[in-house]
Amino acid sequence: MSDVTTVALVGVGGQGILLAAAVLAETASAEGLEVKASEVHGMAQRGGSVLSTVRFGEHVWSPVYRTADVVIATELLEGHRGLRILERGGTLVCATTTRIAPGSVLRREEAYPDDLAADAETRGVRLLAVDAEGLALQAGTVRAVNVALLGAASVVLPFSAESWQRGLAAAVPAKIFAVNERAFALGRDAVDNEDAQDL
Amino acid sequence: MPEWLRLDFVAMERILFLMGNEAIGHGAVRAGATFACAYPGTPSTEIIETAARLEGIHAEWCVNEKVALETAVGTSRAGARTIVTMKHVGLNVAADPLLTLTETGVNAGLVIVSADDPGMNSSQNEQDSRNYAKFAKIPMLEPSDSQEAYDFVAEAFALSEEFDTPVLLRSSTKLSHGRGQVVERAPVEFEAREYVKDITKHLMVPQWARLRNRFVIERLQRLRERAEESPLNILEAGTADFGIITSGVVYQYAREAFPDAWFLKLGLSHPLPYKKVAELYERVSRVAVVEELDPFIEEQVRMLGLPVIGKEAIPADGELDPDIVFQALKPYVTGEPPQRRLPVFPPAPRLADPPPAADLPVRPPVLCAGCKHRSVFTVLKRHKVAAMGDIGCYMLGADPPLNALDSSLCMGASVGIMAGFNEALGRKASVAVIGDSTFFHSGITPLISAHYNGAEGVVLILDNRTTAMTGHQGNPGSGVRPDLTEGPAIDIQKMCEGMDIDCVTVDAADYPTLKAALKTAIDAPGLSVFVAQAPCALMVRENRGEIDVDEERCNLCGLCLDIGCPVIAPGEDFVSINDGCTGCGLCIEVCKRGALSYAEREIDR
Repeated sequence: MSDVTTVALVGVGGQGILLAAAVLAETASAEGLEVKASEVHGMAQRGGSVLSTVRFGEHVWSPVYRTADVVIATELLEGHRGLRILERGGTLVCATTTRIAPGSVLRREEAYPDDLAADAETRGVRLLAVDAEGLALQAGTVRAVNVALLGAASVVLPFSAESWQRGLAAAVPAKIFAVNERAFALGRDAVDNEDAQDL
Repeated sequence: MPEWLRLDFVAMERILFLMGNEAIGHGAVRAGATFACAYPGTPSTEIIETAARLEGIHAEWCVNEKVALETAVGTSRAGARTIVTMKHVGLNVAADPLLTLTETGVNAGLVIVSADDPGMNSSQNEQDSRNYAKFAKIPMLEPSDSQEAYDFVAEAFALSEEFDTPVLLRSSTKLSHGRGQVVERAPVEFEAREYVKDITKHLMVPQWARLRNRFVIERLQRLRERAEESPLNILEAGTADFGIITSGVVYQYAREAFPDAWFLKLGLSHPLPYKKVAELYERVSRVAVVEELDPFIEEQVRMLGLPVIGKEAIPADGELDPDIVFQALKPYVTGEPPQRRLPVFPPAPRLADPPPAADLPVRPPVLCAGCKHRSVFTVLKRHKVAAMGDIGCYMLGADPPLNALDSSLCMGASVGIMAGFNEALGRKASVAVIGDSTFFHSGITPLISAHYNGAEGVVLILDNRTTAMTGHQGNPGSGVRPDLTEGPAIDIQKMCEGMDIDCVTVDAADYPTLKAALKTAIDAPGLSVFVAQAPCALMVRENRGEIDVDEERCNLCGLCLDIGCPVIAPGEDFVSINDGCTGCGLCIEVCKRGALSYAEREIDR
């Protein structure tokens, strides 16, 4: 199983997790790798937590795996949840400025967690905190949080710029392609600038 | 690059990246199927949606799975290769035609896809559909990834015609919604078959059915011989003294967990190839069966008198994954091999480990912000009646703080449960709450039955003109078909009038009218239908305007919080309206202090 990389994409139903997973899968495919992915449909899409898994490598057996090498989280609380399935030494790429409070938090029965950085450090994983919402708005729509984060995650994933381009072209519908392409580039630049010394 | 991917270079073949369900849809068209039908249900829905987008096949949403299978029998009889799809519980609805269809057999191939939902990701039960293959004595194919899902459809059609039998193609959530690369194959040549009248085969009265039943029993024996030699059942050599028998997507988990083990991979898993099983036992001294849910294969292996590791190790509930399989079987891979002794008492099954305690706030699905049908649950709570719910989005009305439902069982059950409940108590003690698509699926016949028997009650039909939970498929209420053409839209009001059942139709977004009309309906004696109409908030996105909170007037009484809208939150001194508000205005209606109102709009100058 060592030559297989597992990426988990987590967020809230309606945030475009499926599209982000499709871009990632097409990109890995463009690299000539075998890809398997798993998606959540149905009940879980009504504003619940969602998880998509993309696994790639020379040969992939299972489409699902309990832990991930990279977690991409489009929302902060889901980022906290994502930490719990991240392998030690893995990377969490999280939209830390996107907070969607679940009902129990709105009703003040539970507290929204804070300090993702400390949680990540305790667990021995790397955190790429991204203002994906700001970047998406800069690109043209807040709906591009998912693809802005992929841009940030592209810094830690072993794919060429050309493969990402092919992945985006294959998965993103034509009429929203331009704005997503901008969001991807802004996400990638944001990490390059902030964390260049860290890499 | 894996070896098979190089097939990319073979002329006329391309690589697609497909969900298992999409692969089945493509596979059906490639196999020459010209008719596909279904009732939508997670995790099976995308098969028909895929087929509807492809050339050469006609796709239909039927009102329920029984009608879908019967329609499929018609097209198969008429000579068209046909695929009919459903979720696992849908196969229960289609079980009546299936158990006699096994006797009549087919003309052109007929493939039934049933998609199970281990772990109940989006289902009310965790039944194992494989039992239907045994029950109906029909062959079952279990693909393990998208490529096999695509390839096995053509195999299933060929088997169906050769053995004159419907074929069950069994999927599960992780196959149906898993994705993988699929090498597209050259189309299968299939010529439509001619229909020949033959009442000894097609008209199942006892005299003919007895003969066909003998045929079914003999057919199963011939199918078992085929399973012994079928290339779909592969004995894969390993290096360990340990063998695994498995099928479906679970094969992928087990293969990843135990790369050195021997494998008997069953693609044609029913009837079980006994000799292939025996062959595995000649190679290794320890054998485990890895399967989700029931000990379906395990019981048959035990029946051969062979010692096997099964449900004492592999959980009998929930979904598996490579890690669960590895942890479960690790203790059995080495050590003393199990001894053959009689009698062998099956061990108590193990249950899946409970999920770790949540140290973070959970995020369950919620009734959407802006769902106009929230008003019905809000009013319903004011009445002292039990609310018998049904399947679909409206189950979400059961969640806190709405807590507006008492029950949910299966498609259409709300109406019959209401009738029985009220009959036993001798008064109007309950109402039924059902969506429009569920009503068309199986709510009409219990309504007729209740009417006939003089039942008391109100059947609330929350009519959003779509099948929302499964992804907004059309239904007889909207008239929208899978190919997006439009047929007639059935008017529930007129339908009730035709049956002489009192019916009132109100706008679910008009709270005062809805409140008054529902009170009238509940207070009146007898049986009535109450249709609350408003489109699904996810399909017709509208924003009626921003809602302001008057910080002086709000005293946090909680009336607006009780409607369970996900965007209203209590603050220290007053509530706040958060992102995602559609301005539906239900909170304004329920507020008794006038603290909520539409923000004044800027007037164009």
